[in-house]
Amino acid sequence: MKILTSISFLCACAALAQPPVAPTNEPVGSPRGDNFENYNIVQSFELGYRFATTGGDFDMYRSTVNYTDGIRLLSSSLSIQSREGHGRWFDQIQINTQGLGNDPYESASVRVEKNRLYRYDMIWRLNDYFNPALTIANGEHFKNTTRTMQDHDLTLFPQSNFRLFMGFSRNVDDGPTLSTVQLFDFRGDEYPVFANIHEQQTEYRLGGEAKFLGFRLNVLHGWEDFKQDSPSQIVAPEIGNNLTDLNKLTSFQSSFPYHGTSPYWRVGLFREGKRLWAVNGRFSYVSGQRGFIDNELSSGTNVVGALTTQQILAFGNARRPALAANLNVSLFPTSFLTVTNQTTVNNIRTVGDSVFSQYTLGQPIQPVIPYTYLGIRTVANSTNVELRVRKWFAVHTGYEYSDRRIAVIDGQENFGAPAPAPPDNSPFTQSNHLNAGMLGLRFKPLKQLTILLDGEIGRNNAPYTPVSDKNYQVFRGRAEYKQKSYRVAAYAKTDYNSNSISLTSYVSRSRNYGADFSWTPNEWFAIDAGYNKLHLDSLGGVNFFLIPQSAFSPQDVFGTSYYVSNIHTANLGARFAIGKRADIYVGYSHVQDTGDGRASATATSVTEPLLALQSAQTFPLKFLSPQARLSIRLNRLMRWNVGYQYYGYNEQFSNIQDFHAHTGYTSVSWAF
Amino acid sequence: MACSLLAPAGALAADYVGSNVCKTCHPDVWSNFYKNPHFKSLASGTETPENTGCESCHGPGKAHVEARGGKATIIAFSELGPEKTLDACLRCHGQTISRANIRRSTHTQQDVVCSNCHSIHKSPAPKFLLAKQQTELCYGCHATARAQFSMPFKHRVNEGSVQCTDCHNPHGAFDPTWRMAARPHMVDQREGTEEACLKCHIDKRGPFVFEHGSVAVERCETCHQPHGSMNARLLKRPTVFTLCLQCHNGQGNFGNFGPAFHTGVQKPPSDHNLANPRYQNCTTCHPKIHGSNTSEFFFR
Repeated sequence: MKILTSISFLCACAALAQPPVAPTNEPVGSPRGDNFENYNIVQSFELGYRFATTGGDFDMYRSTVNYTDGIRLLSSSLSIQSREGHGRWFDQIQINTQGLGNDPYESASVRVEKNRLYRYDMIWRLNDYFNPALTIANGEHFKNTTRTMQDHDLTLFPQSNFRLFMGFSRNVDDGPTLSTVQLFDFRGDEYPVFANIHEQQTEYRLGGEAKFLGFRLNVLHGWEDFKQDSPSQIVAPEIGNNLTDLNKLTSFQSSFPYHGTSPYWRVGLFREGKRLWAVNGRFSYVSGQRGFIDNELSSGTNVVGALTTQQILAFGNARRPALAANLNVSLFPTSFLTVTNQTTVNNIRTVGDSVFSQYTLGQPIQPVIPYTYLGIRTVANSTNVELRVRKWFAVHTGYEYSDRRIAVIDGQENFGAPAPAPPDNSPFTQSNHLNAGMLGLRFKPLKQLTILLDGEIGRNNAPYTPVSDKNYQVFRGRAEYKQKSYRVAAYAKTDYNSNSISLTSYVSRSRNYGADFSWTPNEWFAIDAGYNKLHLDSLGGVNFFLIPQSAFSPQDVFGTSYYVSNIHTANLGARFAIGKRADIYVGYSHVQDTGDGRASATATSVTEPLLALQSAQTFPLKFLSPQARLSIRLNRLMRWNVGYQYYGYNEQFSNIQDFHAHTGYTSVSWAF
Repeated sequence: MACSLLAPAGALAADYVGSNVCKTCHPDVWSNFYKNPHFKSLASGTETPENTGCESCHGPGKAHVEARGGKATIIAFSELGPEKTLDACLRCHGQTISRANIRRSTHTQQDVVCSNCHSIHKSPAPKFLLAKQQTELCYGCHATARAQFSMPFKHRVNEGSVQCTDCHNPHGAFDPTWRMAARPHMVDQREGTEEACLKCHIDKRGPFVFEHGSVAVERCETCHQPHGSMNARLLKRPTVFTLCLQCHNGQGNFGNFGPAFHTGVQKPPSDHNLANPRYQNCTTCHPKIHGSNTSEFFFR
């Protein structure tokens, strides 16, 4: 009974997150299960009906929630355990599933194990993905795909000093999409293109691990194949997005299959030396290559209204060898001091060639396009020291130096000739050095109270992009007070980055604050609540062209892109047990970006040369989701569950994408 | 080695009493212990006393039995400091790829060690002896992540489709192979060389004839917020042109265009009238923004 209570208690606490209202978290049946011969079997199922009614933008609902009506095996679990550890064929079978039957998020995991002989693990997942992305790409990039992933791993002799591994993984993304293509030249028009995406990645793994002289050596070799075959087409004549020009597309077909392989090696070496030192290293090498063919055929009228046809044929092959090596050395000279050093070397190169042929009205244009040679070599070394001064006080500090060199030969079109290169035929290079230091303090003045403070300051001398880390500083603080029945925690974090240059600048400031608490005074009541504020503001210099209606020549405009986001999130969950008969759970999740406080998209005192830039400075919206669930114990092995969850999405400046949804379920959980 | 780490100095074989003795006073633990992965050490019947059953973690039990219990006479993990807990577990679980960085990990530096996330005797999770379901466990400290996964656009962690450990290694990761190999600290790598995003987003992996430099060098977080966002497609900005223009401003020595251009990351050409909404939707004409095989401007 004590065990039953403990497990139920833990499950109750675990139920206080804000996952979807179903499946039900309340356990059913006895966690002890039943014994059959030398095995113990614990089994449960939750079968029910899920419903959803929506109002507003159904596409946005599908993008953010996506639950629909229907019968579901909401969850199931099966555990078969050998009681002696000497089963004939297996000692453990563990199966868990969720959402089977047509939920948008389905998963299953299996573990089968025979002590000392083998262990097999499988994870299968399916995700129905839908994205209308109305605010992106003029609302023309839709995706309605199903991603299925499966991973199988078999370990032989898992408890011995010599183990063998083998594995198989497959990742498939399949379904219709809408994208865009621009035709027939730089001044052309954009047209929506339908494509049936089919991408597949398959990986085979084989490896082993051996222990000798105190070292453990782990070697893994993998073969990864990936391919895509996604023909796309426009099935009817299209006038394009711009109704005022003469561009018109009458037919379009495109096929761009690729096929690649990435065989890789990974070697790890580990040693813990009698509590005084530890050393481990890893070496990974991936020898990837990828071949592709693009074949595109289109016809219509061009920007001056003349009939035109265009065919593009391109094919090529790329290689991207990548190496990563790490060496960790840890020293423990005394019981209160740990010194760890890591050296990292990364080297990634992209090389290859392709041939591009374009025929416009039968006129061939045939440049040779080399792959953009891109070599990235990074060498980093970091040292961390942890000093436990007292039982209640510890200091950790660290320093990292990193050197990155990027070498580029730009893959520009160069008609019939090799790639352009600098006069000395060497790539353009850029080097960046990072010096970063960190310091952290850890206090534990009381057994129940932990206070953590740490900071990191980094300096880069040549960041790669204007928004990259340059002069950054991160400070964090966290305090937690934990008693047996309650816990209170608060934290704060600031992350500032300044990437200034002479003509423009980029500064981002992120400040996060939060507090949460949970209280479980007894077995029939538990509550959990949290609040977070996530502030981000960034200021970047932008430079673009405007062509006023009254003028013909473009104006070169310097401006600023200022973005402010103030996101408040709150969550609350409470569970009540009514005797041993029923459990009630209520939860609420509230996410609201209040933006910079303006009342409308353009209402601000800041005057921007471009109205759209002004309205893009903030994007206030609200997304909330209350839920409630009742679970009634019918008998020792059965429960009846019913739940409701509401979703509301509301943008402040526009209601085009707003939606609300009433979702819920009813189910029966039983164990046998 | 077990003795040197866990047992009092000079512990003898005779100090080990065997797990059968323990179950007399701890039947609640024992009754379900056969479901525990650590039961394998008992079932095998071949391990030495200091590596078998209860005493492999709690040390020799003779004094504890003679004293009729008490935390002072045995290794009680509730009384152990974090570093000793870590040492005790790493004795058997230290020599693996996934835990190679545990001693320098942010978790260890913050005193988050094995027993903070794993419950050896009362785990409700089907695997790995987790103290709670994985999501709930991580949210317990990472409240910001919890907030981000509650946003309208997010990876489906709350829904159970994605797990934190799909991208992160809670035991400490090797230095990243992107950016400056410094931050982020706890993100795992695909094939040991690539960002975790490419485990699933296979179409973004390339290599492409024309790589988008920021993607190749700085990776996905340049434009995306991986946990969750208030903006579509996990973007860092609600409108795409502001995201692009922050880098494409033609200033400084950024990017990889070399001395021939040397004007920073190329800004939009003069025929891109940003007052026209057509040019505010960059990815309409540049849909292959992650990389292209046929167009240096990512047209197709």
